[in-house]
Amino acid sequence: MAERRRGGFGLGRPSWRASAGVVKAVLIARLKIISRYKGALLMDSFLPVVFAAMPIILGVAVGGANAGTNFSERTGTSNYKLYMLIGSCTFMVVSVMLWLIGYWIRREQETGTLESIFLAPANQIFVLSGVTFYALIRTLVAFGSALLIGSLIFGVNPFEGNIAVAIGFLAIGLIPLWGLSMLFGALILRIKEGNSVIQLMTWVVSFLMGIFFPLTFFPPLLQGIALLFPPTVMNDAMRAAMLNLGTFFGSWYASLAVMLAFAFAVPLLGYEMFAHTSRRIRAREGVGQY
Amino acid sequence: MSGIIRVERLSKSFESKERKKGQRKKIKTVHALKDVSFEIEEGETFGLLGPNGAGKTTLIKCLTTLLLPTSGKAWVNGYSVLDEEDSVRASIGCMLMGDRGLYWKLTGRENLDYFGALYHVPKVVRRKRIDQLADLLHLDDFIDRTVETYSSGQKMLVAFAKSLINDAPILILDEPTVTLDVPTALQLRKIVRNLNEAGKTVLYTTHLMHEAEELCDRVAIMDHGGIIALGTTQELKDSLVREEVVNLEGMFPAAAVQAVRELKETSSVVSKTEAGGRTSLAVMVGGNSEALSLIIEALTRNGAKIEHVRTKEVTLEDVFIAKTGRTLDVDTRQIVTEGGAGGGKA
Repeated sequence: MAERRRGGFGLGRPSWRASAGVVKAVLIARLKIISRYKGALLMDSFLPVVFAAMPIILGVAVGGANAGTNFSERTGTSNYKLYMLIGSCTFMVVSVMLWLIGYWIRREQETGTLESIFLAPANQIFVLSGVTFYALIRTLVAFGSALLIGSLIFGVNPFEGNIAVAIGFLAIGLIPLWGLSMLFGALILRIKEGNSVIQLMTWVVSFLMGIFFPLTFFPPLLQGIALLFPPTVMNDAMRAAMLNLGTFFGSWYASLAVMLAFAFAVPLLGYEMFAHTSRRIRAREGVGQY
Repeated sequence: MSGIIRVERLSKSFESKERKKGQRKKIKTVHALKDVSFEIEEGETFGLLGPNGAGKTTLIKCLTTLLLPTSGKAWVNGYSVLDEEDSVRASIGCMLMGDRGLYWKLTGRENLDYFGALYHVPKVVRRKRIDQLADLLHLDDFIDRTVETYSSGQKMLVAFAKSLINDAPILILDEPTVTLDVPTALQLRKIVRNLNEAGKTVLYTTHLMHEAEELCDRVAIMDHGGIIALGTTQELKDSLVREEVVNLEGMFPAAAVQAVRELKETSSVVSKTEAGGRTSLAVMVGGNSEALSLIIEALTRNGAKIEHVRTKEVTLEDVFIAKTGRTLDVDTRQIVTEGGAGGGKA
């Protein structure tokens, strides 16, 4: 064994304060960086509105004056505009989370900063937590502003249902989403390709989440597959709360139970997979190779 | 007493995919490090010298926990690179990727603050330390601008400052002067020397002989993933004390060069052909007083025209040439497969 001398800062088990400092530093750095890309947040706010506008206008074109009645017969609400706006805003939260966390790893790899992060003694889970907090802030701001702008444009009232319960479901739903992002990040680290995976995932996710239609429209097998994906349950529960509808599982507490199970299991799975992948990469070509 | 860095039979192999036009993809094993062992004492400036592809960066990456070795062990500051990664990381300050590894949309100060937090440097200490580093490295003119506006040299200086932010006892620098202009490189080497005098152990990789000679207490010369020579710069030069380097310039046909190679009095012959057909020969000869006349005779007998002859002082480059038969300019990345470290006459 080599001789042991005094270390630099960070030797020994870091205090919670030091670890919280890592999360805070990463969060602040990310916020500073995005604030220097003018217009990014504006894009985040308008994208779900444009995304929702397409099926709404299509619905009016196909259903005409009876669009609301037809929609109500199949979904339980005639407020199809708010239905689709909620779906596209929730999808936007999921998409941005996957993008921000999954693509963050790839971007850091390309710029060489991922090696710098791996060289520091800070536990990578805290670095990832900082990025997650940043993604949370960005998605929540975008969700809120998109919902408000969309409601003004489409002339709907987003507060007609129980918005507090919807926010609760969103908060719980973000926990498995964090785990999912780690899984996604591990996949990107492994295959060293971000864009095409994210592009593909965006469309698969939007389809499986049922952002513009109820899950009951799917055949039984596809329903089962869609429900394995935590954002689907989150979207269903949020929409049910905001539009006073029943959830896929019948009651809100059944949905809550499923989401809590996801919140427990998916981050553990995501972290395990991320740790396994980063160790595998270190055993092979190293984290800097891209 | 054992060293602050200790490496025992460290090896690293990679699977590499070879794609040649018209052929199926082949998986090839590349041995980037082969059974490397050495120790670095506390307070030493230790140089790793070798051409591109010699294995220097792979070795550094194993020591900094970025890569897991295929076999062997290593300890940094007493901590195993295999089992005590966080303690190893806290014991070192690193500059590995030149001006990469910085966030271009953040200022230099914000970058240093960010990485300081990742090293658990308390906020108050961090602020003072950044100011000290700005003074030490003369960063004041640009430290509050975003990195995207920096010149390459300015980025390198901030990356160097980043390696000092945690005030670690060991500093690992991988070709830190590679994109710097001459005065800035001089300034950086002076700072490295001062840091070493203040007690830091420095592991410095370079392919520039004069840097190694100027800075390092001991040097390990690497080639083909192995250490082919290790000692103080003087010891390495003294290993060739019975030899002299003779430089000849002129027009040397291949047969003439071959004739010199075949002389038993020469241990290494490196020829470089310049524009216009002029050739320079660097010939390592033993202490035999007749060697020079034998070389001249062999050359002239084979149609050579000698324009200049001079003997020169042995440098680290000559040590490398004597051990490998090549100059340091040669990129060895393509030949780090199964073969051992090269040697003998080239």
